[in-house]
Amino acid sequence: MSAFHGFPDLPGADEIPFCKLNEVYCCGNARYGNITTFTNSTKSHPVINVTRDIHHHRTSDENVSMYIDVEDNLLKKITSVWYKQGFLEALAVAADPTINRDSQILALASSYVLKVANVFTAFRYFLQPHLKDIGPKIVANYSRTRNWGNGPIKCMAWHPHTTKMAVATIDDNVRIYCSEVSFVSTLKCKAQGHVSSLSWRPFSASELAVGCEQGVIVWMVDPNSMFTKPSSSNAVLLKRPDHSPVTDVSWSPNGDLLISCSGADTSMLVWDVSMETAVPLRRVAGGGIVFARWSFDADKVFAASSSIIFRVWDTKRWTPERWCARGNRVVAACWGPGDILLFAAKGEPMVYALTNTGLMSGSQTSKALPVLDVTKVELSSGDTVGGPILDMCWDPTGRYLAILFEESHLVTVFCTTRLMLQLKITPCCFICGIDVEVPSTMAFQRNFTEGACLTVAWSSGRVQHFPIIYTDTY
Amino acid sequence: METKSEIFSKRLIIAVLWNIGLQTFLAVVLVFLIQVDFLHPVTWITSTLHEIFGWKMGINIMLLGLVSFFQAYVYGSYYMMPLPKYFTRFSMFLNMFSVQNVMFSILYALSGYFTMGLYSSLAKSNYNLLKKKCSFYDGQCLVEQSLFLQFGGMWMGLYYFLNIHIFGTTMLMFPHIYQDKFQQIKLAINNILSMGFRNSIMPVVYYCVFYYLWGNKPRSVVSEVYSIYLEDPPLDNVVNMLSSGIWIGLWFYTSLFFVSVYTMRTIFNIILTEPMKFPIESSGSLVLHNALALRSQFNGYLGAQDLRIMSMTDTGRRQQIFTLSQPGGHPRNWNNLLEQCISIINDFSKELDTINGDGKSNETENGALRNGKPSTSNGFTYSGNLRNMAQSPKLQGLKDHNKSKAEDTFGNVVKEEFNVFLQKLCQKPGISYLFGELTDTKLKFVLMQAQPVMWTCEGLAGIAAASLNEDKYGVVQNDLPIVISTLINLKQNLDKITKPGLVPRKHILNDVIAIKMKTALISSVKRSIYKIAITFSKYIHEIPLDPDIQVALQPFLMCKEA
Repeated sequence: MSAFHGFPDLPGADEIPFCKLNEVYCCGNARYGNITTFTNSTKSHPVINVTRDIHHHRTSDENVSMYIDVEDNLLKKITSVWYKQGFLEALAVAADPTINRDSQILALASSYVLKVANVFTAFRYFLQPHLKDIGPKIVANYSRTRNWGNGPIKCMAWHPHTTKMAVATIDDNVRIYCSEVSFVSTLKCKAQGHVSSLSWRPFSASELAVGCEQGVIVWMVDPNSMFTKPSSSNAVLLKRPDHSPVTDVSWSPNGDLLISCSGADTSMLVWDVSMETAVPLRRVAGGGIVFARWSFDADKVFAASSSIIFRVWDTKRWTPERWCARGNRVVAACWGPGDILLFAAKGEPMVYALTNTGLMSGSQTSKALPVLDVTKVELSSGDTVGGPILDMCWDPTGRYLAILFEESHLVTVFCTTRLMLQLKITPCCFICGIDVEVPSTMAFQRNFTEGACLTVAWSSGRVQHFPIIYTDTY
Repeated sequence: METKSEIFSKRLIIAVLWNIGLQTFLAVVLVFLIQVDFLHPVTWITSTLHEIFGWKMGINIMLLGLVSFFQAYVYGSYYMMPLPKYFTRFSMFLNMFSVQNVMFSILYALSGYFTMGLYSSLAKSNYNLLKKKCSFYDGQCLVEQSLFLQFGGMWMGLYYFLNIHIFGTTMLMFPHIYQDKFQQIKLAINNILSMGFRNSIMPVVYYCVFYYLWGNKPRSVVSEVYSIYLEDPPLDNVVNMLSSGIWIGLWFYTSLFFVSVYTMRTIFNIILTEPMKFPIESSGSLVLHNALALRSQFNGYLGAQDLRIMSMTDTGRRQQIFTLSQPGGHPRNWNNLLEQCISIINDFSKELDTINGDGKSNETENGALRNGKPSTSNGFTYSGNLRNMAQSPKLQGLKDHNKSKAEDTFGNVVKEEFNVFLQKLCQKPGISYLFGELTDTKLKFVLMQAQPVMWTCEGLAGIAAASLNEDKYGVVQNDLPIVISTLINLKQNLDKITKPGLVPRKHILNDVIAIKMKTALISSVKRSIYKIAITFSKYIHEIPLDPDIQVALQPFLMCKEA
């Protein structure tokens, strides 16, 4: 039987779901409906809609064409390319017959040098295939956000202790929305480009780590300050050669260590942020480390690499346990209470669970067990759901699991219960967008006491808070 | 019971053994590379093996052992001592010429000499002996190259000593996560090699310049003492020096020397900073609170580090803290631990406070006044029914105190005059440069000792937070007010040195490490308070706190403290 059997029906054409109250799936008109008719739990939550205030002056690769090309002389062209993009690019310019029309000898010589250089780079890529892509391409490749390069929202993160949210938008600014204050702080500095991930420091009100192309920027945003644009003197850039672009940052639950990963670097760095020192963790095989996840009690760290290998590090002695996924790299993973880990491999409609069964049964042969099969199906309403998994989120209490699929516009929420070490997954509800909206990314609020609150960023730039409320007496 | 230095010396010995192993490995690799012969791989290997098991290698290893023992001694004596205090340039200058430093510099020069000789002999160079048979005369001639190398070795030893111990700060930096020793060495080796080869360029250049200027003196002395002739062109000539190529050799051997000393340093660092598990209660070995009591000494560091790790990961030992002693039913473990932690934090707060109090001569008086708050009155009695400020016995005492100062003898006057004169003298430009107190040194000195304080704060907060679920008898909750108020007090003292706009000139730090230490300390203290505040946020009103502490805690409860 399909995992999607037993979900409540999707709302009608003009309707969207707003919340779920004690098993009642509340939907309303997309334009006139309001969540406050159902519940007041998200009344003070920040209203986020980023399309309105995005700058249109971004200098990305696409709008370079709108500048008029100035004809420089050859030497100047080559030197400027060399300065900006490196030696090999300069050689390519010199060898290009459409640009270099004056000096045939130079073109011939540089084309031969280029050929030799290409042999070397080919060999290097043969040895280290994860280095093939550069910069933003790597981030886009490994990002769990749908359409990371062009969607209005790149990533977002809830503060662990207050109702405060950081949202990275397409112009690489990070906005901070807070329930208590009406204004929005915008964090921006020169080094902050191609933001891939955000993480709030636990046991601190102000520190936010931003993973971007150059490294990790740790912002200190004073919650009492009235500046909407804090200066970059509040930021510390942590970077290491060869550790770029950063694809993931995550603070330890104790707030003392920060792990940064780069899809192009085989070691993950454990930072002591205030001393600005990093310890690299590296083992043979596995390619670049794409992302890392801390377990709730900070005992273990899950690290996914760009190949089928992933590791679970023990943080007492910092020794890894090596695992292999079956077909493809791990695309999403989340820890739950009691050291249970759910993960999914790329291109595969299956969720696996990794539990520490070794201690209980006395054997060390712990295995990753498939717990949920989400093969693509067509619902009665005509929408498709399921297929390869894009992202997964587990709410902090471990009761709800939200899944994004690569080929579906529905966010699927499952109920998860743990009975006698058995994980039981039952249907909860779907969340769909208005008209053609598709979900970009999502996150569970981490201090929501009434139940769980899933925040979904839609492709239109709208951010929806979807509370799932239950009372124990019910 | 282990004495205070036992752990340290045990570790030093382990480090020395590791070091000898690694140095031998380095020497073997060197021999292997020097004998390289691709055409005859069998002879290559056999000759290498022959070299390795020969008597020469044995002697070399013994020498290396000696050198590393001596290094261990130097490191030991630097790390065991608390950081030296010097607040003026003059005292700093005087400190450079202490007996210990002079002795160490001689020892270092010797170790440089030996190490250099060792590597050059391993490399089978022709410059091992000072003398050779003259080719033109009858008799002994000087090999100036070997003299150059031997002096170079001493120079490098001295250079390293000056660079690291005199001009640098020898502080034991504990890494924030501890991996296997082997892993750490593997990670470090790359760095050591590149650093060794890069950092050796400058001293070689300095040495060549030195030899160019004064090289003829040692040469003439040596040739006179051994009564040998000089037949080769002298090396204190730019052309001869360059053409002889000896500088390449010197650079190579210096690099090897640096690689070897860096390896030693890295190994000492790795082995000394290994976290150690102290038992909570034990009759035989050093227990945690006793280790903590050793403060700024090495064991104090280990104890504080262990406290932090224990509070985060070790449920078993935390359980021991939360238990009551039998018989009696007192939380003895917790009380001992708490007492040490609180006194560590309070002492640090006090030191900060004295710095904030402008460091005036009457600071003790101020302290006494501040401590003598009516609420904590000790033997404070008012004679009448009305509270009469003027008649307060404390004030009386103060008055007496001031009066006694006024009743001065001739000697006191002279002393005072002399002090005034000294102060005036100290403000003269040249003298104030030497004898004036450096602006940030006091704060820097205090901050450099902040590492165990950070760990103690975090450890204490961790135990307090864990007590919510694990503490059955409410052992810790009883003392929560003290913990919170101590942490808040430290935080307020720290705020004073960072408040924008109010920072006096002497609190502006120039030292990069000190600045980082300051941010680390502030961050750690705030996180500790947050940890307690967030964990106990539901019950915070049930904890009996002073009103001003409650006010100070409020921003933490609302997540408004930056």
